[in-house]
Amino acid sequence: MFFLSRGHGGHRQLHSQGLNMAATAAGKKVFEVFVSKVPWTVATKEVKEYFRQFGQVKKCLLPFDKETGFHRGFCWIGFTTEEGLQNALQKDPHIIEGARLQVQKNRKPFSGRKSNKEAEDN
Amino acid sequence: CRLNMAALLRSARLLKCSPAVLLQVFGNSRHVSAAGRLYSEAVGTTRAGLCVQTVPGRLNVNSCRQYGVVPEQSGLVKDEPSVAVRSKQAQQFDWALAKLDSSVRRTGRVTKTLLLRIFHDICRTGYPSGNQALLLLRSCGSLLPEVPLAERVELSQQIWDKLQELGTTYDVSHYNALLKTYLQNEFRFSPTDFLAKMESANVQPNRVTYQRLIAAYCEVGDIEGASTILGFMKSKDLPITEAVFNSLVTGHARAGDMDSAEGILSVMKSAGIEPGPDTYLSLLNVYAEKGDIAKIKQTLETVENADILLMDRDLMQVVFSLTKASHQQHVPEIVERMRHERGYVPDAMNLCLSLITHGHEETAFSVLKSFTGLLVESQTSDSPDLGNFFLRHCANMDKPVENIVGFCKDLKDSGLHSSPLQFTLQCALEAKKTGMAVELMRSMKEEGLPLRPHYFCPLFTHYQKDKNIPGTLQALRAMQELGVASDFDTFSIYILPSFPSVDSARTSLKEAGIDVDGNILIAAELRTEASRGNLAGLFSLMSSPALPNIDLSAFRASLISGFRGIFVVLVLQKLPLCIYMTINVFIESRKCQIGSSLLFAENVAYFLYNLIDSLNETEVHSKEEQIREYFGLLKNMNISISLNIFRGIRNILESYQVPELVKCSIHELSCGLEGKLSFLEKTLAELKAEGKPASSTLKKVITVLCSEERLERALELKTQYETDMTPAAYATLINLCCRHDNAEEALKLKMELARKDSEATLDAQKYVALVRVLSKHGKLEEAIDMLKEMKEKDVQLRESTIGLLTLTMNTAAMKGDANTIRRLQETIFTLGLAKPSSNLCSPLISCYLESENYAGAFDATVEVQKQYNQMPKIHDLICGLVENGDAELLQKVMEFLSQERGEMMMLYDLYFAFLQTGRYKEARKIIETPGLRARPTRVQWFAEKCIAAQQMEPLENMVDMTVKLFECDRDDMYHYLLRLCKETNDWQKAEATWMKMQEENLAPRERTLRLLADILKNNDKEVPFEVPEVKEPIQLSAMAERLCNHFASYRAATDLFLIYLDTGRTEEAKFLLQRCAAVNEQKDTMFTYMLRAAQQPGQAAKIKALSELIPDFTEKENIFSHLVKCYGLDKDFSSAKALYERMQVEGVKADELTLKRLAQLYKEAGATVPFEEPPESFRFYADKLNKQRSESMEPADN
Repeated sequence: MFFLSRGHGGHRQLHSQGLNMAATAAGKKVFEVFVSKVPWTVATKEVKEYFRQFGQVKKCLLPFDKETGFHRGFCWIGFTTEEGLQNALQKDPHIIEGARLQVQKNRKPFSGRKSNKEAEDN
Repeated sequence: CRLNMAALLRSARLLKCSPAVLLQVFGNSRHVSAAGRLYSEAVGTTRAGLCVQTVPGRLNVNSCRQYGVVPEQSGLVKDEPSVAVRSKQAQQFDWALAKLDSSVRRTGRVTKTLLLRIFHDICRTGYPSGNQALLLLRSCGSLLPEVPLAERVELSQQIWDKLQELGTTYDVSHYNALLKTYLQNEFRFSPTDFLAKMESANVQPNRVTYQRLIAAYCEVGDIEGASTILGFMKSKDLPITEAVFNSLVTGHARAGDMDSAEGILSVMKSAGIEPGPDTYLSLLNVYAEKGDIAKIKQTLETVENADILLMDRDLMQVVFSLTKASHQQHVPEIVERMRHERGYVPDAMNLCLSLITHGHEETAFSVLKSFTGLLVESQTSDSPDLGNFFLRHCANMDKPVENIVGFCKDLKDSGLHSSPLQFTLQCALEAKKTGMAVELMRSMKEEGLPLRPHYFCPLFTHYQKDKNIPGTLQALRAMQELGVASDFDTFSIYILPSFPSVDSARTSLKEAGIDVDGNILIAAELRTEASRGNLAGLFSLMSSPALPNIDLSAFRASLISGFRGIFVVLVLQKLPLCIYMTINVFIESRKCQIGSSLLFAENVAYFLYNLIDSLNETEVHSKEEQIREYFGLLKNMNISISLNIFRGIRNILESYQVPELVKCSIHELSCGLEGKLSFLEKTLAELKAEGKPASSTLKKVITVLCSEERLERALELKTQYETDMTPAAYATLINLCCRHDNAEEALKLKMELARKDSEATLDAQKYVALVRVLSKHGKLEEAIDMLKEMKEKDVQLRESTIGLLTLTMNTAAMKGDANTIRRLQETIFTLGLAKPSSNLCSPLISCYLESENYAGAFDATVEVQKQYNQMPKIHDLICGLVENGDAELLQKVMEFLSQERGEMMMLYDLYFAFLQTGRYKEARKIIETPGLRARPTRVQWFAEKCIAAQQMEPLENMVDMTVKLFECDRDDMYHYLLRLCKETNDWQKAEATWMKMQEENLAPRERTLRLLADILKNNDKEVPFEVPEVKEPIQLSAMAERLCNHFASYRAATDLFLIYLDTGRTEEAKFLLQRCAAVNEQKDTMFTYMLRAAQQPGQAAKIKALSELIPDFTEKENIFSHLVKCYGLDKDFSSAKALYERMQVEGVKADELTLKRLAQLYKEAGATVPFEEPPESFRFYADKLNKQRSESMEPADN
């Protein structure tokens, strides 16, 4: 599959279709929220710690801009359960270190993405 | 007949637009761009380029304010080019200019970055207009409070010289603007030299020039010089205005003669000129320079008594003068008198910024504190952050950290800012000021604030860019000193890449006395080696007993992406040793549970395929042994290769004539399709014999048979094992019958299924396939029953299935069977299976057009419009009538159109028909109808149609004759032309287009230039201009979003999305989609993109990424056909095969051209084509498709 995308260094790896479907089917369901307005002073660790109060956090992806060295101010939090997701969505406001986070249900599924700086809890 | 046509034309030309339309057309005498309209409030009726001066005197702290007060009506540039020319020029900068303008309006200032960006944009096109030059020059003075004076002067000089070099012609307004910046920037120059410069450029100075020169003399107290100029003015009989006297007040005072300065006021009175606010302001400023607070107070009283109003911003100038002359102790007394008028806050902010720039941050802070009360109201967030602008500017200006920390403490203690130190740190980091950042962090630590490893990332990023090892070490040392533990991410991403090797990093760190956790270093090293693709290094690290127990999942991604690099290296070097290494690493990674085993097998399979593919025949022969050994190894590892990949490998090997290896590959890697079938059939028989349930095996066999298009065998099996037939098996079989155009059998199966299970439901695609085959074979009632059943069973139709319905009716149209179409249409719409659409209604019209029954077609058009409010195929109808010269019916159609859609739309319809049929003279008359204005969507429709059908002549004619069309976007027009040139790879035509653009004096948008360059380059022709680089989209992103969210204008966001996609920045694309969901719906743009992408090899990934990003793309056929085209170009059989299989699974119908392309790929790969290859040539199907496409495109109603 890597070779089919010869010459294309996109982040998303291209799968041959059948395998892709198989992989998707095999992937576990994640319950994700999309968080924006993350203050620059906190990083993955702090964000994850904050969201842990709502349920077990399966993953926390806070992309950093390699050009600037700052993160981009938004992240995805994946809970292991629907309950975690709901707890997080019901809470308002979300305040981390005095800053108000914007938390919303992730509109597009985010599984399968890889980033250079990722942190996943298994 | 000819006569009749002329009469029609006359009547069309006389069809006047309603007065309201005319009013709209002529009342708006300027070409206001789309962006301009968005900013209509700000832009008004004048152009953005002229707007800066409508903010008169906004804190021109270094000059007298009268210069800013230019009456609106005199604000127009003298040599204002014609409206048409102006619209062409600079159209592409409107956005940026509007931004500049809005910045001035909101904040009274411009940032240097913004100014430079616009300047560079303008320079890049090579056609800076006088207007733009003026705008830029005017922005180089006090509109830049954050920029030190010397730098501003340098900037204005740079802009002046550069634009002149680029051919901008300067007139007196430009010289005046330059003079103004000299004054605002306290630049000392020789007025006589300046005049000489103007003279040599043959530009006559005017009154404003002389006034400004007098001001310049007065600034330095040169009364003699000022008098000389005054003499000039008198000799030329120019009026001496208040402005001159105001300057003289300053002049005398600066010359140390306060008495004369004060005396000017009585001179003015005797000359019949009353001293105005500016006169008193001059006086106040000179007292301020002397620190004479008593006189200031006295003057302020006089002013008040004279009923003269001084504005807050006047007083701010006094504050500035006091401070500059080191009399800041009097500032509070002046600040107290401020009345906090509208616009006070931005003015006060600018005063603060200016003071900081001039080194008076303490005074600036006291000013800031005086108006924080006003800012509080604007705070909406939960945590206050007042004074950000102040702190940022202090950081940018390198103010001493202890001062900054003091300000921060004050802001925090007074509850104005919740995290001032963190914010300032952010600014220092952004500005890459390591020293300041470290000092700030030290203060933060003292305050008990947490310090985190990622605070150092911006610094490391900075150093990493130029591999600055000392800088990196310095930051690391600071980190250590501050007690911040560096983590794994920081090390592997930001630190190690600066060093040539991990070893040298280790040594340097040690020498620099920096302690690093050994495990972190090893883990980071692993990641670095993986992403560098250093297989040997990675392998030795991983097999070392010293490998600590580290969390491998943390760098799984880079390990996997690193493998990609390894593969490439391997494939390039073809080293048998590496094959072993790969396997070993795979085994290792498996042990570490890196990646699922599925992914693992898949990787190996593709690796193998690509390895084999990369070898030439000789190499395969010479490496036969190793390859065989590798196959054996894979088998021992229980790695199975999927069928399609296996076939690919087998085909390559077969073509190289290595029968032994082929045999070996079959033996080791796959059992083959036939084997699979016979195995399944055998299993089926066994199950039956044992009396066990066999339905799932039967379904499998039938599926395989169907995918191989073996209808007869499938039917045989069905008969043989009828009791084991499941609804799913029936569905597959019915679909196969439909594909084989076997209506009888399909219906029989469907009825059989209904008898067995009345609840059984087919999917929408299969139902519609049935409808199609039934109606095609005269079983209309049965077909209608199917539609009814769909409704009963609540089967939802997708766009693609609806398309299939259109096709079904089109089949009837070709046969002239209007009855069938009407019945189907009626049923579909009455049942609500689909909403009436242009496409769905078009077959009925086509049916009549096909037999050239225009009267029938017109009646049908009226019928469809009345019943379903759709007007399909109107273009074809009009074209037919024009060609036939049926003026009478044409007149009727025009009246109908005019009544239904308005005159303007009718005229466009007629225009396009004339263009299409080559009647250019008539077309020109229509488009020159007075009052007609450009309708971008209509024009685009016709252009796209021409491009799709590769019709150059009508398109070229349209572009030519719309030169004077009101509000016609010329760049768009030429872009269409070039797109078609690109399609046909016609570089001569492209070059001719370029000439025409120059004749028209058009400054093309960058995309147009790039397209042109692309065509020329593809044909090895020289590109006669500088090709604009792709703009950094991040500059753009925020604005695109704003346009999207606030103005429902999706073009910018969609373009940006496609740029991301095109440059492989899928994450950004995804993120953009998340924020601007409407981009999802810009299907036309996406299809255009795909169409273009599919022209070149190596683009499949982009299209695929697009389809994955927008999974609900309904027009699947379209995506798939583009993908097949790409695979064809890439000669990528296995992907094409996989795609074909997927199309089968999803029931997506391939058009003949796509099938043709697929067949070609199968044949090239030596595989059996699993479907009947369309018999005609590629060209034939391409033309057919083009024809269909242009037919299905109907005028958009706007």
